[in-house]
Amino acid sequence: MSLTSLAPRLSNSGPRPSLLTRRRRRVGMVLVVPALVLVGLLILYPICQAVYYSFTNWDGLTTNWVGPSAWSQAFHNPTMWQALRNNAELLLSVPFALAIPLAAAVMLHQRVAGWRLFRSIYFLPTAISWVVIGLVAEHFFAYNGTMNSLLSDIGFSNIHTNMLGQENQALIALGITFIFSMIGTNTMLFLTGLATLDPSLEEAARIDGAGGWRIFRHITLPHLSRFLQLAFVMTVISAFSALFSLIFVMTNGGPGYATTTMEFLVYQTGFNQSQFGTAALYGIILFVITAVVGIVQLRLIGDRDS
Amino acid sequence: MADIVFDRVVKTYPGGNTAVQELSLQVADGELMVLVGPSGCGKTTALRMIAGLEEISDGTISIGGRVVNNVLPKDRDIAMVFQNYALYPQMTVAQNMGFALKIRNVPKDEIRRRVEEAAKILRLTEYLDRRPKALSGGQRQRVAMGRAIVREPQAFLMDEPLSNLDAQLRVEMRSEISRIQRLLGVATIYVTHDQTEAMTMGDRVAVMRAGVLQQVATPQELYDAPANAFVAGFIGSPPMNILNATLQEEGGVLRAYFGDQSVVVPDSYRASHRLNNLADRSVLLGVRPEDLVVATEGTAGSFGATVTLREALGSEILAHISFGGDDAIVAETGPSAHSKRVVARCGAKASITVHERVHFTLNPDNLHFFDATSGASLRTGA
Amino acid sequence: MSTLTVSAPKTKRLGRAAIFAAMVALAIVMLYPFAIMVIISFKTNAQYLIGHGVSTQTWQEINANIPVWQELWNSTVVCTLSIFIILVVGIMAGFSFAKLQFRGGNVVFLAIVSAMMVPLQAILIPEFVNIAKTGLTNNYLGAVVVYAALGTPFSIFLFTTYFRRIPDELVEAGIVDGLGYFGVLWRLALPMALPAIATVTVLQFIQIWDDLLVGLLFLQNNNERTITVGLAALAAGHTTSIPLLMAGSLVSAAPAMLVYLVFQRFLVRGLTMGIDR
Repeated sequence: MSLTSLAPRLSNSGPRPSLLTRRRRRVGMVLVVPALVLVGLLILYPICQAVYYSFTNWDGLTTNWVGPSAWSQAFHNPTMWQALRNNAELLLSVPFALAIPLAAAVMLHQRVAGWRLFRSIYFLPTAISWVVIGLVAEHFFAYNGTMNSLLSDIGFSNIHTNMLGQENQALIALGITFIFSMIGTNTMLFLTGLATLDPSLEEAARIDGAGGWRIFRHITLPHLSRFLQLAFVMTVISAFSALFSLIFVMTNGGPGYATTTMEFLVYQTGFNQSQFGTAALYGIILFVITAVVGIVQLRLIGDRDS
Repeated sequence: MADIVFDRVVKTYPGGNTAVQELSLQVADGELMVLVGPSGCGKTTALRMIAGLEEISDGTISIGGRVVNNVLPKDRDIAMVFQNYALYPQMTVAQNMGFALKIRNVPKDEIRRRVEEAAKILRLTEYLDRRPKALSGGQRQRVAMGRAIVREPQAFLMDEPLSNLDAQLRVEMRSEISRIQRLLGVATIYVTHDQTEAMTMGDRVAVMRAGVLQQVATPQELYDAPANAFVAGFIGSPPMNILNATLQEEGGVLRAYFGDQSVVVPDSYRASHRLNNLADRSVLLGVRPEDLVVATEGTAGSFGATVTLREALGSEILAHISFGGDDAIVAETGPSAHSKRVVARCGAKASITVHERVHFTLNPDNLHFFDATSGASLRTGA
Repeated sequence: MSTLTVSAPKTKRLGRAAIFAAMVALAIVMLYPFAIMVIISFKTNAQYLIGHGVSTQTWQEINANIPVWQELWNSTVVCTLSIFIILVVGIMAGFSFAKLQFRGGNVVFLAIVSAMMVPLQAILIPEFVNIAKTGLTNNYLGAVVVYAALGTPFSIFLFTTYFRRIPDELVEAGIVDGLGYFGVLWRLALPMALPAIATVTVLQFIQIWDDLLVGLLFLQNNNERTITVGLAALAAGHTTSIPLLMAGSLVSAAPAMLVYLVFQRFLVRGLTMGIDR
């Protein structure tokens, strides 16, 4: 045990801790205070407040305690269920948001000519705001937008869509844009995972006679499982929180509530409709969902790491 | 007097594990004391307690007559050489060496003087402007030493400084460190698990095992008169052969029986060792490999053994032998307990072939006897 | 490293050619938005509606239509201040968690890191109310403080992981040489932390520069709008010309892309730090 990892003494065991230990503890605590204040005040405290607000029907002017019925009202609200349904449907895009980057990473890993350039290109959209991506996507999917002109250029001029205007298609457009946005980060993640794979494992397998696909299934994939899990968690959590910008610029939640997801609903209910209490409530629900996903997955990952 | 004194020092960890038990030890000013023992014996913990990097559970440590239990490491006037050198990666060699002085606001020219002097002693002068990552292992090790030397402390503490070097470098550096230590005349505590380093470098050597000090003595004393079977088996390479033996008196002659062999124990041992009144007369008999002498068959006191392995070193041949087919010969507490082998040191020209029978005599002047239960030496006055 | 193949060279070349083709296809897809933005921004609204024509008029008039310079400045200020706080708080706490064990330290670490899981929307309402009450919605500070709080847990996570890699021996050498723990942080750990600092800076810069929600609520004043929020506001007003929107998009995207391209190396290192053994 070193001076940096000594566990705290029990109060009734032996002499006082040394001067050095006491100083270490003091400095340790002092250094953490700013973080604690910042995070405590601005993240942990508001969560508690949100819980409180969720039981009220605050509209910015008057507050009335409503109690648990606020929650049961929310659960009977079809809009909220619509939002949850939208979130759930968007989750269908997660497999694509994982598979495409995986394929891209594997290809990059093969180190064909110019792979570094390709890597930069794939990751470049990550630097752009989702607002920008959303704007371009909106333009792409619009009635007189790029996708349609592309289709007519190829020759399918009879297919003329208005995805963002159709209730059941708008979500698909959103999903495609979401996948696009996640390709960069996930590709980078998987690529780093592949880089940590010991090449002698692959070589040993080839000497044993295994072909490319078998190597992928039995060596590459198991090694990447940690990264896959992390990417899964990050992607799912993004699906529940990061879509806001996309929705805001692409569809504003519409048509109707077709693309209103929980993260958008919070904003809409709180700031468009001024129902702060209800909005806080939706926020809590969102938090619970992401927390559950996060905890479940982190436990699986954390089991392996220190 | 910058000596170091351990007074019944104890170190227990919160989990209940006692790393050092009532250690009392004195290191004289200018002496190079080696703490040696297998992993986990507490030697590094003891060293770190002197440095102040480890809390002292009980007892006191004094440096230069001053109790330092509650003194911060930087105020103890000690310098430490770490096992992995712990050089500051962002600083040059010169900056690394001068760092401690800089913190204490020692004037710049004084710092430069000391750094240049230390660099000269360590032959680092041409590397003063390099960063650690541009240095070889041996050079880094010297920089770590330079950092300590420049401090001109009351005591040097070295934590296995050579263990990360390759074999040849280690031999070189052993003599370097000895030379420098003698030159500077500063009390030094040197921790190692390598008994060769201990024997060649130490003015005195303290052997530790499982937190308990086994023996403190000069290297030769440790070799000639080990205090117990553990020390006997630890010091010396190849290790001393420790055999289960039974003593029996037959007509005034004391014989030691081991395996299916026996050997006469000269009378002189009765005076120098406590050999009577032994419970069922069983005893641990220690014989150093060089005290198993190849003999012709039929020589008085000789016995035969089968060669199981032959290691030719050029200057000598090490013969692993077995006799009696009884595997319980080698004491279970001895260092060879795993391999159950007895090793004899033979001349380079000796006729040793595997699977053949060779005859040996025991050098009667150099037998060691240890208590069969406690392992303690049976030497009177030991 | 590249995978070795012992299969026939022809298959290998075919395979690699196929891979190359696929990568090119994906690259085209990924670059497409940029292409669109560039092409359209170099038209006037009239040209856009017709479908062809090139002109730099939109670009020339951009500042008249969108207060780009003001908004870029705002974005820069907000990013700089937030990142500064995130770094300072993160380095201090990260070093402490990594090297300075103290009672309850593990609990505090867990509490802070678990704050990473809190989605912005969950705390948005109370946050807005709190900050509005202290009057900080009138200037940069409100947004800066929120961005800082949101970015700190991840930054602490990264710095803790990074500082854990500093050998304990190094800290001890500093202690024996005479440094106090603050000294160890300032003179030993900090100089060694530059890669981690770069990583956090890049990741947070992209995050904050590109953010919409916080800016929307905490920088409502036109004077303090960031470029991203300005862009979204522009888009929400349906009378805006598309070329203008595209030009504005490029302006807003350029700095973040630049920062990314310059600091690419550190990103790869940084993203793996929480995962590597």
